Amino acid sequence: MTVWAVEAEGVQKRYGGVAALKGVDLRIPEGAIHGLIGPNGAGKSTMFDILCGITKPTSGRVSVLGMDVAAVPAHQVAQGGVGRTFQRTAIFRDGSVRENLLLASFGRMRHSVLHRILRAGTWREDMAGFESRADAVLDTCGLTALADQPAASLAYGTQRRLAVAIMLMNDPKILFLDEPVAGMNDAETAEFIALVRDIARGRTIVVVEHDMAAIGALCSEVLVMVDGLPVVSDTPERALAHPDVVAAYLGTDDDD
Amino acid sequence: MTDITESAPGPRARGGSASLRGAGLMALGIAAVLAAGFGLDGDPFLLNLAGYTCGFALFALSVNVMLGGLGEVPLGHCMFYGLGAYAPAMTMHHLGLPYEAGVVIGMVVAAALAAPIGWLTLHLTGAYFSIVSWGLSGVAMVTALNLDVTGGPLGLFGFSRLAVGPFDLSQPATYFFVAAAVLLAVLALLYHIRSSRFGRAMEAIRQGPHLARSLGIDVFRERLKALVLSAPIAALAGALSLPYTQIVTPEVMSVLRTVDALLAALIGGVGLIFGPAVGAVIFTILPQFLDLDPNVKVLVFSLLIILVMVAAPGGLHQLWKAAAARLTHARKGDAS
Repeated sequence: MTVWAVEAEGVQKRYGGVAALKGVDLRIPEGAIHGLIGPNGAGKSTMFDILCGITKPTSGRVSVLGMDVAAVPAHQVAQGGVGRTFQRTAIFRDGSVRENLLLASFGRMRHSVLHRILRAGTWREDMAGFESRADAVLDTCGLTALADQPAASLAYGTQRRLAVAIMLMNDPKILFLDEPVAGMNDAETAEFIALVRDIARGRTIVVVEHDMAAIGALCSEVLVMVDGLPVVSDTPERALAHPDVVAAYLGTDDDD
Repeated sequence: MTDITESAPGPRARGGSASLRGAGLMALGIAAVLAAGFGLDGDPFLLNLAGYTCGFALFALSVNVMLGGLGEVPLGHCMFYGLGAYAPAMTMHHLGLPYEAGVVIGMVVAAALAAPIGWLTLHLTGAYFSIVSWGLSGVAMVTALNLDVTGGPLGLFGFSRLAVGPFDLSQPATYFFVAAAVLLAVLALLYHIRSSRFGRAMEAIRQGPHLARSLGIDVFRERLKALVLSAPIAALAGALSLPYTQIVTPEVMSVLRTVDALLAALIGGVGLIFGPAVGAVIFTILPQFLDLDPNVKVLVFSLLIILVMVAAPGGLHQLWKAAAARLTHARKGDAS
């Protein structure tokens, strides 16, 4: 029996009179790398934010890792094992790469201010746990040599890897990537795809992306959305060849 | 603020070296206090002023929990300072309680009041938070002006005994050493907070609230905790001003007091634990020695702030760092 990491049914979202999502169904099996694509304005970002618990749907049922993300505040969704990156690279700009990972370790730590003052066991365990986790994450993301560099001075592609590293500190069971390779050069994209494949072991990954080559290289299945509605859910090759999808991207003859 | 990286509130990964650094700074602070205490050579006026400066530094630290910690400008913070000054004055006057009890009551009330105030205001950020906070302090000032228990516009004065246990704060030297000890203790507390889970949550929120939330941090709750932490420190600062001012009037809650503390924090460096304290010392001592007219003082410090913002947005210590870096560079150049 398939275990679903994401189960969404009839998800609608209205902003005033504008319907951004008009009833989206989405199921993503645990452990998959799933794509979410569609032309601009299709509602991908809204769906993405709903799945992360940032935006609440107007109606419909959304379950991520068994959590009703429509009813739970965003930070609790994150604590429940949901990680996400941002379209505009989100890193902590004041501080080194390692300090970024330290700021990202909130969810892993348990010590109080009193523990810190007394240098209690809880604090020492937290710091030791941080060190080993950070070393592992730095290694995975190829950032070990840059650990003490100021984060703001890193190259763009490296900053995006750091954004992933930040999320990996909490070891999320599902990771949402918002246009991860946008603006990257070919070498950076290839490097990033290898990284995503690497970190996909033992977790579910959802990618919103315009770069179809990256989607094709990564995803086992994609959902194509057009104008707030799901059009087709299939392998990337078959989905992109679907006549409705071709029409949505290129326009149809009777468009004018 | 471009190059703030080096002055970033340092969450150091290596706990050991950070502790050493902290201990070194604390030793430096104690040395500075002792040098000042004995260096002033029993000059009662200067010792009193130094004691008051420690209280003001404490207030700047409290303001900087919000400014450097969360990136908010808490214009209304003077309300907690005023509350801390009024609490011992009122409990001494009306209830005959000792000064220490009034200080503690002031701190407790400040923290208790900060919670609902934060609940109402901390959903706002930036200018909106600052303006609402300022408005609330105005309400507090008008209240103090119109109540009998606060002494109305004349305020409260003529205190019987300002003392902490065996330490009589009417003795200038004692006042200074007690205030300095409190200041150092709060510095140590803030140092530990900054390098704790709570301090890092604040820093994450300051740098990126959305990212912080996606990391599982309850942004509103941590911001509220920061305000509830900073309010009693402000109240303590207000209470420590009594031996110097000998009077509390509604003026104590003037927004200019917050502005002074903000300036002190900006001059000293908002990203450093001890920055606001250093700034407070510069801010009170300098006009004293230059014998500045209060109006000229505002002008001088406004210009100083502009200079600091242009040359060293992280605080004056950046100039020192830049000079040191240039020197090492020059030396390396010589060697090669």
